[in-house]
Order: sequence, then C-alpha cells, then structure tokens
Amino acid sequence: MHEVGIANSILEAVGTEMKPYAGARPVKVIVKVGAMSGVDRDSLSFCFEAIARGTVFEGMILAIEDAPADELELSSLELEEP
Amino acid sequence: MSGTTTVNLERKVLSENDRLAAELRAEFARHGIFCLNLIGSPGAGKTALLERTLASFPQERHVAVLTGDIQTDADARRLARYGFPVRQITTAGACHLDAKMVVRALEGWDLATLDLLFIENVGNLVCPTSYDLGEAAKVVLLSVPEGEEKPLKYPGIFFKSKLMVLTKVDLLPYVPFRLDDAIANARSIQPGIEILQVSASTGAGMDDWLRWVEKPRV
Repeated sequence: MHEVGIANSILEAVGTEMKPYAGARPVKVIVKVGAMSGVDRDSLSFCFEAIARGTVFEGMILAIEDAPADELELSSLELEEP
Repeated sequence: MSGTTTVNLERKVLSENDRLAAELRAEFARHGIFCLNLIGSPGAGKTALLERTLASFPQERHVAVLTGDIQTDADARRLARYGFPVRQITTAGACHLDAKMVVRALEGWDLATLDLLFIENVGNLVCPTSYDLGEAAKVVLLSVPEGEEKPLKYPGIFFKSKLMVLTKVDLLPYVPFRLDDAIANARSIQPGIEILQVSASTGAGMDDWLRWVEKPRV
C-alpha cells in the first residue's frame, strides 16, 4: 500500500522542518486528508507508527483532519523545545 | 527556553513529487507532448487498449509508451512489437508510479521527437491516485466484468480522471453489468467525467477513443 510512501513523505517533511530547532522533540504532526485523496486513514496511521518506531519520531502523534475533495496536506507540526 | 512550538507547514504531503511532476509537465508542454496516465485494476485491459491503439497508428506517428509493473517486462515486450519506443518501469514492489520514476525512465529519450506519450500505471485503483506524473490527464479504465460499483468503491481515481474508458464491452451480453448504473455511479463522483465504451478485442469504440486522444487541445 502506498500509505507507507505517504507516511515516509510526512516524516521526511517533519525531519526537514525540525532542523532549525536543535534539541527539539517532535510531538505531533497534523495532516489533512480529503475523502477523494485515495489515502486510507487507518493504513496511514499504521504505517506512520511502524516507520517511526526506533527513530527520533517514535511516539509522535499523527493527527488526521478532514479536508475537502482530494486534498492531502501537511498542516502543522508541534515541537517540544528543551 | 523550553515549551511547545508550532510550525506551520501548509503544503502538500507529496510536494516533492508534485515539484518533479510540474517539471515534467513543463517539459511536455515545451515539446508539445500530450501525456496520458492510464490507470485501472490489474486485468482491466490497459495493455490491450494500448496494443490496439499502437496498431492503429502509422509508423511515422511520434508516440511512445512507459509501462509500469511491479515485476517483469512482459508488457513492454507486448507493446514493443508495434515499432514505437516503449520502456518498462519495474517498481520492485511499489504499487504505483511516481514522478521520479518517470523522470528516470525518460532519460536518454529525445522528447523533441515525440508528441504523444502514454504512461500505463501499475494495475491498481487506489495508490496511483495520489501521484501526479505530469500528465495532461488521468484516464481510468473500468472493465465490465469488474462490476458497475467500482466508481463508488474507489471514488478517488474517478474523481481525478478526465475520462473513464469502459473496456471489454464485447462481454456485456455475458456479464451482469448494468451499464447505466456504471455511468451514473461515475457521474455521482464527478459529474463532468467523460465516458467512452471500448472493446480492444473487437475494436468497437476504438474510433471514439482515438478521436479523444487526437482531439486538438489548447
């Protein structure tokens, strides 16, 4: 399933965005998924957890919000700074 | 200073793929290439439609095909018989093509010599939906033995496709497929979707399909 690829893209984006915040811990990423996007929410959550395990992203929350049509967007990222 | 910081992301999850797809689209436009991304279930008749399509073209037609599969180059070999450039993309497990695979597959081809490019995606109605390949249009194939409910079960791809081709219509007398329902189902997902009926084995509807492909576009 391509949700592995989608989850990977999300984590890559999180990794890139975290760079300016040295020592910060990623807490939550919010992603908007439209009903026509072709992305299954349960598979995405499952893949996200599986890929994050054993990395700096382990334990991070993936929050999936509704979006119109085929939207598949990164909304925001919550970091805990030291 | 400790605490929680919220970083606004506000961009597409697949923005890297979309960036490459935009580059491909610009490249296709520069060379006047009309690119179609053919999507359907395994066995929907994507390769058969392309075979019949290539067979109908004169040898001087500037057409090429990229065909994606998880394994084997069987489709490329089937399609290469018609004398046009064909390349297989083997995804080694991936259930869809992405823009990077297309960029790589096009390496070494002189795009200036082409004006029509078919991309046959991996047989799948779900995963290819999310990945823009720089195509002018997605075309979804639905073969009549699959049943008229497919557009409702897999709405994403019917929402994103410009055209639905109902394939294997020569089988209509033999399978319990309600044509009107299939059309109504597709239009309930996307009212503007264009619909053609084709049989690659009898050739029925091929003229309509070829006219659609060759239709002058701005």
